[in-house]
Amino acid sequence: MERTWYWRLALVVAVALLSIWQLVPSWFYFRLPPAERNGPAYEESVPGWSPNAKKHLNLGLDLQGGILLAMGVDVDRAVKAKVARRADEIGDFLKDKGVPVATSAPSADGTRVEVRSSDPKRAEQVVLDSYSAELSAPSGAPDGAVWFAFRPKVIQDFQTKAVEQAEKTIRNRVDKWGVSEPDIKRKANNQIQIQLPGFKDPEKAKELLGRTAQLEFKITDDDSAVLDPVRSELPPCPSGPEGVQLPLPQTGCWMVEGVELPTGIQRQVTFLAASRRQDIEAAIEKDLRPKISRDQDIGIGEVTVGQGPIKEHFYRTYLLRAKTELTGDYISDARASVDNSKGVGEPVVVFTMSPEGGRLMEKLTTENLHRRMATVLDSKVETAPYIQGKISTNGQITLGSGRNYQEKFEEANEIALVLKAGALPAPVTIFEERTVGATLGPELIRSGTVAALVGLAAVMVFMLLYYRGSGLIANVALVENGLLVLAIMSLLGSTLTLPGIAGFVLTLGMAVDANVLINERIREELRAGKTVRQAVDQGYDKVFWTIVDSHVTALVAGVVLMQYGSGPVRGFAVTLIIGLLASMFTSIVVTRVIVDWFTRKDTARLSV
Amino acid sequence: MQFKSFDIVPHGTHIDFVGKRRIAVTLSLLVNLAVILWSLPQIHGLNFGVDFAGGTEMQVKFDNAVDPGEIRRSLEGLGFKDASVQTYGPDSDHAYLIRVGRIALLTQEDVTRIVAAVKAKFPVQGQPHFNPEVGDKIDFEFQTLPAPAELQAAIESAGVRVREIREEAGLTAGSKALAVLTQGIQDRVEKDLFAKFASAKPQVLRVEYVGPAVGRELRNQGFKAILYAMALIVVYVGLRFDFRFSPGVIIALIHDAIITLGYFAFTGREFNLASVAVILTVVGYSVNDTVVVYDRIRENQGKLKGKRLADIVNISINEVLGRTFLTSFATALSLVGLLIFGVGTIFDFAMAMAIGIISGTYSTWFIAAPMTIWLEERTAARKSAPTGAKAA
Repeated sequence: MERTWYWRLALVVAVALLSIWQLVPSWFYFRLPPAERNGPAYEESVPGWSPNAKKHLNLGLDLQGGILLAMGVDVDRAVKAKVARRADEIGDFLKDKGVPVATSAPSADGTRVEVRSSDPKRAEQVVLDSYSAELSAPSGAPDGAVWFAFRPKVIQDFQTKAVEQAEKTIRNRVDKWGVSEPDIKRKANNQIQIQLPGFKDPEKAKELLGRTAQLEFKITDDDSAVLDPVRSELPPCPSGPEGVQLPLPQTGCWMVEGVELPTGIQRQVTFLAASRRQDIEAAIEKDLRPKISRDQDIGIGEVTVGQGPIKEHFYRTYLLRAKTELTGDYISDARASVDNSKGVGEPVVVFTMSPEGGRLMEKLTTENLHRRMATVLDSKVETAPYIQGKISTNGQITLGSGRNYQEKFEEANEIALVLKAGALPAPVTIFEERTVGATLGPELIRSGTVAALVGLAAVMVFMLLYYRGSGLIANVALVENGLLVLAIMSLLGSTLTLPGIAGFVLTLGMAVDANVLINERIREELRAGKTVRQAVDQGYDKVFWTIVDSHVTALVAGVVLMQYGSGPVRGFAVTLIIGLLASMFTSIVVTRVIVDWFTRKDTARLSV
Repeated sequence: MQFKSFDIVPHGTHIDFVGKRRIAVTLSLLVNLAVILWSLPQIHGLNFGVDFAGGTEMQVKFDNAVDPGEIRRSLEGLGFKDASVQTYGPDSDHAYLIRVGRIALLTQEDVTRIVAAVKAKFPVQGQPHFNPEVGDKIDFEFQTLPAPAELQAAIESAGVRVREIREEAGLTAGSKALAVLTQGIQDRVEKDLFAKFASAKPQVLRVEYVGPAVGRELRNQGFKAILYAMALIVVYVGLRFDFRFSPGVIIALIHDAIITLGYFAFTGREFNLASVAVILTVVGYSVNDTVVVYDRIRENQGKLKGKRLADIVNISINEVLGRTFLTSFATALSLVGLLIFGVGTIFDFAMAMAIGIISGTYSTWFIAAPMTIWLEERTAARKSAPTGAKAA
């Protein structure tokens, strides 16, 4: 045999063995009952010698069930909110410039800013001088007032950004969350559809994704004593030598924390705590709400206690000033970082405000120096650090003490994510949430597998009957093709959908096409009186480009389909593309190696 | 040891494909025209799935037989005038696809009624916000927030069930709004079916909904995707062979795409994203046979110099007749399992694919290659025509 033949044989054998090896994790994955596949049982069951356990075939939402959420980004409302905020800013801006302003508020339909002034002409002039790129002054305003509207392009940009940002935030969250193969896509009507295959806890999904709402900064009202009477109404929280003893009573209980007021005086601030969210909410309604004034608000925060892997949570309240001092959409960036200024590395959160936000932040931090500022996301207090100095465009949040570096860094990351999410200006709401076909999946997998095997068997029987020996060789190549496709799919972590199974079967059918072409050509050459050796060489050589051409055209269709489709249809396109690439290798290289072996002597015969 | 092999198409077969092209083209034109006309919404139209038509689709399974007409009547009773109910899979499954044309249960009249009821009881600020493309949700802004329970009572007095009332950040910094989520289509249909067919234990297996605007966009994109794929393939074949072959390829591709569409048009089966996938795959696959024939034509043009193109084409098609048939046959064979065991979308997928593959082989033999000759002859006629005109 020629030297190259041994190399080609080595390649064919290596590809086959590597494919099988790559499929080991998938084998162990599908061996487990569906409920345990995404749990720790899977990673434990995979033997040490196998490839990365994370690289296994996944089942699409249509096959394993899961959750589909449709989240709507309400851009109209986001625009109204932008108008309302801008109204306040324009009011302040005009006052700064010495223009008399009676009111500056959104118009009745919420799409314009209406400024009432004794000198509307000048108000219009002053505002447009600075903001004409963004705002126009439409006519039709009532006497003594001027209207400002965002230019259509500004609104459009803003809407697109709102949805994009919501999508990005959701993507970040889901990625961080470690769901296998989430499918997140933006739909035309400002909706974002999230598919979480195999995810079975809609409440958790809702809670985590629902948090992509608005971020606000509020100042804690630590001077107020309105909550102190609670100490006589509710029991104190049970505490042991290691701090709070959980679980806390269902009615809620009180605790105090030492807070240093700007005046330097220490005050014992009362707050409420409970183990469960619904308990604390009930306690707030019953015991706290009646006591607070209109310009006060209660925020709920979550406290994590315990070291290492065993962590417990409880909820606590914060007494806040009701006014939102600043919203998250002024934040341009936030990230976790390490502060080395104190000699030891300390995880912190670093954030940057927009120029406009920087001005507001500076005003806020100057007025409230040494008070605590609560970062409230979706009405939940995420963190409430002291304002230690004046902040304008660049700020830093230092974390509380008592945890190790790793935990602090994780928390810093979490807060950074929250702050970034805060830049999301549009309210995101879950409109639909559903669990797809828990009973449907196994049935579809069964019928899909049977259908695939029947199709495969039909093709193989046909090849064997029609081409005899050469058919058998093509069938060996076909099996390697199937293994290779599945191996590549698991390596890429692709999702197997029902149309994907159909695509898999179809590519197997297409893969033998190449062998049909080759074998027909060999027959033709044999008929023309060539020797077997010559016929084989000519058969493969002359058909090579035909096979490439036919694969390329099918690949073109596959790539276009992948760009267009989503979900199951995309799964089909991916399978088709991988199948076509694999079949070029198996139907040409693999079969050739075997055929060459049997026809190595000039006197050889070939049943074709 | 050697078995005697047989050829499915005997060697030396000579069928005059080029000579039969007029009959074939006429027949194909008629069939294609019929498909196009039948697919037009004014005449019959395609049965667009929820992906393309927009609306809500639910797959419901019962324990024992239920009259689909009964289901539809009960849906009409709920106010879904455009509801359709289809059997899904074998009759023994008692599974049905229920489709209604919208995604929000609330109609504009409902919203007006609710807003009036709420305004009568609470100081509502501005205009409440509702978007039927998004879902059953109305946003209210208040000067002072009412208790959610009271708001719920006020809304339910207007005859609409409330699913959830949620506090959201208001328009201005620091203000609050209440978002009212009312009962959705799924909930409504489920409750109604449970009440009516309790003994048959209805079970909702799958729900999908797509906003009407999204559906329109998906439809346009799908159409564009098919056109792009065709254009790219034609360019590739043109570059690899000769742009003289391009018209034949284009016509064959359009032919196969339309024939595949015909399956959906004439059977009334659901036309959805998967159907576009089928057409795209057919377009990519059916050109394979054409490539094989063109390859042979090119090879023979070198070998058989002096012969008329029509003869070369005929000889070429006949020479590769066996393999163009067998490749399609093998691929179609792989679909057998899906045709036997597939239900719903997957069965349609396999069936349409099989039809597309057959059409691809037919169009290679009778349309693509002979078309090349026809165009060649026309060009030749044009070239000679101007001189004739001058002489006259």
